[in-house]
Amino acid sequence: MSSRPRVPPVPAAHTASRLAHVPPLEAAFWKLYGELWSHGALDHRTKEVARIRNARVTNCGL
Amino acid sequence: MSWLHGLAEASSAFEAVLGLHPELLQLYRAFYGALWDHHLVAPNLLELCRLRIAAIHGCEAERAIRHAAAGVTDAQLAALDRWRAAGCFSPVERAALALADKMPWEHHGVTDEDVAALRVHLTDPQVVALTVALTLFDANCRLRLVLDIAPQHRLVEIPAAAHGVLY
Repeated sequence: MSSRPRVPPVPAAHTASRLAHVPPLEAAFWKLYGELWSHGALDHRTKEVARIRNARVTNCGL
Repeated sequence: MSWLHGLAEASSAFEAVLGLHPELLQLYRAFYGALWDHHLVAPNLLELCRLRIAAIHGCEAERAIRHAAAGVTDAQLAALDRWRAAGCFSPVERAALALADKMPWEHHGVTDEDVAALRVHLTDPQVVALTVALTLFDANCRLRLVLDIAPQHRLVEIPAAAHGVLY
């Protein structure tokens, strides 16, 4: 793993997400991800269990 | 055929299944389509990486889609599985393919040098866009394989568009 950011953050961006470098992608991503958590066909508990399990399987500490 | 009963009137096999959740299909198509609609990265670079990741996954449904106007040559297509030894790929294509190779199963093995090699040729927004593209190519293969979506051989103008078809 890298010890430093491989792509710098966008100054004054509202999040640290590097997606802020590409506004069309960032906007589309948050709409999709927001829909997933705001509505959707699954209950929140199921989605959260799957999210945490996926993060552990892929060893993603973030 | 997928073990899900997809929509009969859909424009593609992928949309037939994802369309079972119409809002999700629309938003996913808009996200994936933004890559192609906004010309964030050169289409030949995207197409080479898409096909390379599909080959690593052994995903015939993804490989069956071909982006007609991407500018990938027949020689490149023939050499894609052994791109490191081939002489028909440019330095930026080689840097992108090196990252693409690691995306499916070796993402923890991506090095600072891998990303630095890309930043020689691409701007930071392009590096971010390419990285998102690689994750979506990887995700598309996983979706197609897990949902058992059958290959549909298509030569398409563009693989996805926010207001078009998700092939």
